Parts: sequence; structure tokens; C-alpha cells
Amino acid sequence: MDQIYTDIVLSVLQALFLLAIAPLVTGIIRKIKAHMQQRKGASIFQPYRDIAKYFHKDSVVSSETSWIFSITPYISMAAVLIAALLVPVFVTRTLGFVGDLIVVVYLLGTVRFFTALAGLDAGSAFGGMASSREMMVSSIVEPTMLLSIFAMGLITGTTSLGSIASALSVSGIDLVRPALFLASAAFFISTIAENARVPVDNPTTHLELTMIHEGMILEYSGKKLGLMELSSMTRLVLYFTILSNVFFPWGIANDLSVLSIGAGLVAILVKVMFLALIIAIIESSISKLRLFRLPNLLTVSFTLALLAVMSFYIL
Amino acid sequence: MMLEIMIAIPLVTALLVFITRSRRQMELVSTAGIVALFAVACYIVYDVIADGNIEYSIWYLDSLSAYMLFIITFIGLMAAIYSIPYISHEIKERELTVDRAKYYYVLFHVFMFTMLMVVISNNLGIMWIAIEATTLVSAFLVGFTENDMAVEAAWKYLIICSVGITLALFGTILAYASSITVLGESSDALNWSTLMANAAQLDPTLLKISFILIMVGYGTKVGLAPMHTWLPDAHSQAPTPVSALLSGVLLNCAMYGILRYHLIVSVSVPGFSSTLLLLFGLVSMAVAAAFIIVARDFKRLLAYSSIEHMGIIAFGFGIGGFLGIFGALLHMLNHALTKCLMFLGAGNLLQKFKTRDISQIRGVATLMPITAVLFIAGALAITGSPPFSIFLSEVTIMTGGLSSANYLAVGIYILLLAVIFAAFMYHVSKMMFGEPTEGVTKGELERSRFLPMGTLLVMILVMGVFIPTQLHDLLVKIASLFQVFP
Amino acid sequence: MNDIFLTDVINGLAALILLFAFVLVAGVRMGQIIRAYTLGSLALGLLAAAVAYYTKADHIYVVAVLTIVLKVIVIPKFLNYTVDRIKVKKEVEPLVSIPGSLLICGGLTFIAYYIASPIIAQGSSITKNCLAISIAVVFIGFFVIIARRKAMTEIVGLLMMENGLFLAAISLTYGMPMIVEIGVFFDVLVAAIIMGIFAFKINHTFETLDTTFMRRLRD
Repeated sequence: MDQIYTDIVLSVLQALFLLAIAPLVTGIIRKIKAHMQQRKGASIFQPYRDIAKYFHKDSVVSSETSWIFSITPYISMAAVLIAALLVPVFVTRTLGFVGDLIVVVYLLGTVRFFTALAGLDAGSAFGGMASSREMMVSSIVEPTMLLSIFAMGLITGTTSLGSIASALSVSGIDLVRPALFLASAAFFISTIAENARVPVDNPTTHLELTMIHEGMILEYSGKKLGLMELSSMTRLVLYFTILSNVFFPWGIANDLSVLSIGAGLVAILVKVMFLALIIAIIESSISKLRLFRLPNLLTVSFTLALLAVMSFYIL
Repeated sequence: MMLEIMIAIPLVTALLVFITRSRRQMELVSTAGIVALFAVACYIVYDVIADGNIEYSIWYLDSLSAYMLFIITFIGLMAAIYSIPYISHEIKERELTVDRAKYYYVLFHVFMFTMLMVVISNNLGIMWIAIEATTLVSAFLVGFTENDMAVEAAWKYLIICSVGITLALFGTILAYASSITVLGESSDALNWSTLMANAAQLDPTLLKISFILIMVGYGTKVGLAPMHTWLPDAHSQAPTPVSALLSGVLLNCAMYGILRYHLIVSVSVPGFSSTLLLLFGLVSMAVAAAFIIVARDFKRLLAYSSIEHMGIIAFGFGIGGFLGIFGALLHMLNHALTKCLMFLGAGNLLQKFKTRDISQIRGVATLMPITAVLFIAGALAITGSPPFSIFLSEVTIMTGGLSSANYLAVGIYILLLAVIFAAFMYHVSKMMFGEPTEGVTKGELERSRFLPMGTLLVMILVMGVFIPTQLHDLLVKIASLFQVFP
Repeated sequence: MNDIFLTDVINGLAALILLFAFVLVAGVRMGQIIRAYTLGSLALGLLAAAVAYYTKADHIYVVAVLTIVLKVIVIPKFLNYTVDRIKVKKEVEPLVSIPGSLLICGGLTFIAYYIASPIIAQGSSITKNCLAISIAVVFIGFFVIIARRKAMTEIVGLLMMENGLFLAAISLTYGMPMIVEIGVFFDVLVAAIIMGIFAFKINHTFETLDTTFMRRLRD
């Protein structure tokens, strides 16, 4: 019983931690991009103020929409938070017994599903177009994500994310195999694709030619918009966390001593910041891919994930 | 000693041709070179027949190699002699410059060199290198005229055969792998003689996969279907004497490569390689029959006929038994002689009518009577009519098949032969008889063309009636390599 | 360096070779394709060197150095030179779309593994695992020859098949007898040069390297 209580407490703490630092990570990415463009850029805490601003404003909802439009922000936020409960952040203890990697992938899939529907719901051209593009991207990305995490599951012999993290961090170099690098490369490309980052999608544009994610949330305003923005920021940090802790979990805490938890916190912060830096550099250096070239990039990442699973057997 | 001299001759000839200035000099040097080559080769063949195998350093000549050596150099001699009037005609018609003709002779002799290397090396790896070298050199010969169709044919030939040969390299590697587990790593382990001696101990699975790769790989160069797609293009676009060399000799060299592996694998896994040979043989004959029926270009017609005959040879080896093997071996020589005759005749037609299109060639019997006689005789020969030699070898193979109770296979074989006979003679008779094509003057081209053509015709007539004793003994000796006896 | 580490290095390099083969399939421009081939050959040369270190056989070192000199430096330089001389469009124009090709190559890798399993089970060398990858690379090279239109990519596909074969030779038999290896190398070099010459002739005759124009010979 004790075990389960501590697990629940730790998981909630981890989820709230992710929620708390999500806007900070987004702010840092924007700041780095600004610096690379020789500007000073807004403060790294600006996203917090933005979200707060959204929550104060009124929502304007089109009369053409149905209940899906209203419910999507809540589902989005809820699903991301539940997924966060299942991912090891600074400790390898999560609510893993409730769900494993497949549940995480499909929770994130639920978010995508409802967002796409919401985009269609308002009946505007932008929304529909963005939703169909999103579906095209996710048709390749979803199997990639599943395969790449599955490759890790194969190596460590378990599908619970927490156990994968603890198995890898404990056994050290022995389990390092080519599959690890291939799978992490595939997952990295999926992160970019799922979170609407360049080169897949531009998170700051509202041009019809280039919108995917922005197009789906175009109709939202006020509190609902605040929720959608917050959930996408949290989703980004969630992906970073999965990328760091499932593929390179060294530093994460395996027991509950203060020292290891502290080390785990530091480790995750360092890794997330590092990934934020990489994303910012990529966003500033590479131009967005044309839409019909997207399947090329995404299939490359799918093939990488496939190779990762295969190399586990072949090599 | 003689071996090194023999393979030096074509290289020296090529070099000498390169430094000549005039057309006469070129022709003289080339002819001298090829005659010398033939003479030395005959000497070596007699040596092997009399004294047994020659085996030292990287060379290995048993009776099979000696037989191939004879075929290569004899057909080379015929083709080289025919080249002289052919090329000089092209120069006269301003299709070729003298410099370009020089290039032709140089390539011709280098090509001869590479083919010689195939049949006299002991090491299967070196044999592979030689076969790849034949592809590379002959590609230039195929694309020699440099018009768009020739370049296309040469490219297709280059790519498809290189892919095939790469697969054959894989087969070679696997054969080597099977051998070093028994013999340990040494450069001897890829020698055919060593492999043959230890054949019973080699790993059967590796050898089976190796043979499949060799069959597909070298089979591409032999022209077995379904890897044959390059053959009609390459053999029809090449200059005619080169086509004769390609069809008559190069295909046989590639088949020699397959045979070397067939000998090893049939000791280790009896029946496996024979079945594959039989299947590919029948498929090739069927494909050839289909395309011969719809042929529109007479050189392509001859190329498909080559595919058919390679299929017959493979079929013969697949049937096995003394008669099958004897017939297939005899067929290699007979086909080379007859196909050479046909291509030389086709060369006459091409240079007279300036087209390869069957529908535009009519009444050759009126316009070029001697060529017509030779061509019709050759056509009857190539489709297997008595009293020509091909009839003998085809019947031998058929008897072999019947005696080993492969009734279905032999039935299909006979059916396809009949179909090809009908279709081929239909095309040829359309060309030979009837109203002559307009605008073509009556009269033969250079008389010197009939020297090689006549020689070949005499040979296939004679061999259609009886087989010289020495040839018979040689073939029996080769058959004994296959563990079959009269 | 103990054996386990060496095995890891060899397996990692083999995975890289396969990876670069896929990158070659996904390439859209000639430059990318030639670069993928170069990097794959570099990984191959390093793998040969690792095997040489393990077996302490000098002749494999020679072979490794030859690989790097020929396939990483000479042949790519020559290919780039030919591409520059020919001055055609640098796009590759695949016959099968890129995502489709990648998926087909994934399938081919599966088949390669299936074919290689009986041989792997019997082998005893340190590199036997690489056999599946070598067969896969041969298949992928073959696929590139069929599924791409430009004549230059057919050359690179053929070269890749040779790389796969070389890897198979290393993994099964630690290479072939020296004289054969050297012969094969020069063969590859000469073949590449000759094909380059022909690519030139094709461009000269057809004004394009697109091989779908070469369809005039048919029955």
C-alpha cells in the first residue's frame, strides 16, 4: 500500500513539475531563437504572462460549432496531464501499473484526434485544411513513435516507461546498442513533427500555405485558447522528457533519497534545456519543408524506427 | 610457357595495331595475330589431349578448358577474317574513319584476351574477374557505332550484366566460405581443382545458395531467360563480326563458368544443379520461341536464336547422363559454328540493304545468290535440320532425355524446337524469295567474305554426318569429368 | 580492447552501413546520393580495419586501406566530376516515390535477414551478424538500380551492391585471397570509370541522363 501511495504522490509531483516548467521551456526556445536572429527577444517568462492573459479574456465561440469544440481544450489538457503521470521525470517511479508506453502514445493520439476534429468543427477553410494536413503527418508519425519506444522496450524487456528508464540507467553501457541511437533519432524527428516545429510546421505562422497546428486552433480565444496553448507547451516538454528519460536516462533517481531525487531533478532540467537548445538551433537554421516533401522526412524517421527494431534482432 | 605466350599474343596484337598507320597495316597485323593465336591454341589443345591436364601457378587446363580454347580461337579467327572486308566496306561507305577502325581492331583483340583468361584460370576469383572484364571490354564494342540505339544497347548490357556478375561474385564468396571451413584460409581454397577434389566435404547449404547465385549471375551473361533482356539489344546493335563473337563465344564462356560450379555442386548435392539447368533451359527456349515468332529485325532474330540454343545447352546439361552431356558439349561447338555463319551472312545483308528490318528485305536469292545459299543453309542448320551438325547434337540430347525418362521435359523440348523451326524459316524464306526490294543493286559484296563463311558451312556439313575421332575422344574425356561414361 | 567491445564496434559500423544505404534511397539529389555512398564506404573501410585488428591479419589491413582510398576518395571524386561535366538537372526523379522506396527497402531488409538466418546459425566468425546486413545492402543496391531513372544513380546502385558483397566477404570469410581482392577492387574501379564514360555518351546522344528515354529497342 505504501508503495502505491508514494508512487501516486511522486507521479502527481512529476506531472505538476512538467506543467510548471512547460511555459518556461517554450520561453527559453523563443529567447534562443531571438538571439540567433540578433534580437533581444521577449523575457523567458513571457509565456506565463501570455497564458495568464488568455485566462482573463472572454471566449468567443462560433455558433456553428458543436460540443466537440468546447470540450477539446479540456480533453487536451487532461490527456497530456495523465500522460505526464505515466512518464518518469526525475524519479523512475510512475503510475506505471496504470498504463505503459502504448497508453501514453494513444493518450497523445487522443489529443491529436480531438484537436483535428475541433479544427473541422468550426467549418472554416483554414481549420479543415489544417486538420487534413495534421492527419497526414500523424499517419506516419504515430507508428514511428510506437516503434521507437517499442525498440527500447525490446532492449530492456518491459513496456512500462518507468521500468525502461530504471533498467537502462542501472545497467549502464551494456545495453547501449545501435538500436538505441536509431530509435532516438526516429523519436526526435517525431517530436519535431508532433509538436509543430520547423521543419515540419511553423509554430509562429498564420499563413494559410504553411499552417498545420496553428490552423487547427485558429478559432479558439480566451480561456480555451489558454488551455490549448498550455497543453501544447506541456506536450513539448513531455516529449522532451520521454526522449531524455527513455533513451538516455542516466542521472534519473532510482530510489527515494533526497540526494538522488535532487540529482534526478538536475539531470532532467539539464537534458530538457539541452533539447530546447537543439530545437531552437534547428528552427533557426533549417527552413520549413514543403508539404509534399514531408512524407519523405517522416518516412525516413519511420524507417529509422523500423531499423532500430530490426537491428535488435539482426545484430 | 606456351600458355603465357598464348595470352600475350592478343595483347601484343592489340598494341601493334594501335601503332599502325594505314588500313592495310591494321588488317595485316590483326590477321597475323589471330592466325598465330589459333596456331598456338591448337598446339596447346593437342598437348592437353595427348598429355593430360596442364596445371601450374594460376593456370589450369583440363579437357573442358582445351575444348573451349579451340572454340574461342577458331570463331575468333573466322570473325577476324570477316572483319577485314566488313570494316573496309564501312570505311568506304564513310560510316567509319580509319582511326575509329583502328580502335575496333584494338578492342577486338583485347576482348579475345579476356575470353582466353576465363577458360584457363584455376582460381574461381580470377575467372570472375575475367568474365567481368569481358563485359567491360565488349560494352565498348557493342556501343561502337555510337548512334542512339547502340549506346542504349551498350548501357543496358553493361548494367544488367554487371548486376548479374555481382550476384555471381556473391556466389563465389559463398563457395569460398564453404571451402575454407574444410581447407582453412589459403589462396588455394578458391582454386577449382582444390574445390573439386574436396567437393564431397563442402557444406551443401552454402553450395546450394552459391549455385543459385551463380546460375542467376552467370546465367545473365549466358542469356538464359528471364535475365536475357540485354541480349537482343546488344547482339543486334554490335558490329556484325562482334555479334558473331558475342553469340558464338562469349555466351559459351559464361556457360563454362556455370559448368565449373555445376561440376562441384553435383558432387555435393546431386541433382540440384541439374534441375535448375533444366528449368532455366526450357524457360529460355520458350521465351526465345515467343519472340522469334514476332521478330521484325533479323539480327534480333538471330539473337533470340542464341537464347534458344543456350537454353538447349543448359537443357542438355540438366538432362545429364552420358548422352545429355555429350550432346550439350557438342552443341556448344555446333552452335558457335552455325551462329557465326548466320551472323556473317547477316552482315552481308545489313551492308547491302542498309537496314535490319525483315519486312524491307526481299528477294535476296535474286540479288545476292551466294549469300542466299549460305544464309538458307545456315538457317536450316540453326533450326536443327539434318544433315547439319546441330541436328545431331539436338537429337543426342533428346535421346538422352528419353533414356532418363524425362518424357514431359523432352516433349516440351521437341515442341519448342518445332515452333522455332517454323517461325524462323518463315522469316528467312520471306527474306530470301519473292520480288527483290526496290533500289538495291544486284551483286555480291567483297568476295573475301565467303572464305570464312564457306569454311564454316563445310564444317557444319561435315560434322553433321560424322564426328571426327579426336573430337569424339575429347568429348568423352570431358564427359568423364561429369562422372558419366559411354 | 576486449572482444565484446570490438563486436560492438563492428555491429555499430554495420548498422551505420545499413543506415547510409537507406539515406541513399531517400536521397533526392545526386550530391546527397554520392555523399551517402561515400559515408557508407567509409564505415565499410573502418569495419574492415576493425576485423583486421581482431584477426591480426595484415592483408585485411591492406584491403581496408584500399577500400578507403578507392571508394571514399577516388570513386566519389570521379562521380562528382562526371556529374559536373554532364551538367544535367541534379534531381534524381525516382520511379517509385521516396516513402514507398523506403518502405520497400525495409521489407527487403526483412527478407535479407530471413535468408541469412540459416547461414548465421552455423557461422563462427566475429562478424557473422553482418551477413544479414550485407545481403540487405545488396538488395537495396539492386532496388536503387531498378527504381531510379537517372543513369548515374544506376552506377551508384551497382557500387552499393559491390559494397554489400565486400561486407559479406568480410563477415563470412575475412575477405578472399589477396590477389582476388585486389583484382575485384580494380574491377570495381574500372567498371565505375567505364560507366562514367558511358553516362557521358548517353548524355551526348540523348541530351539527358533520364533512362526512360532509352526505350527505343523493343520487340
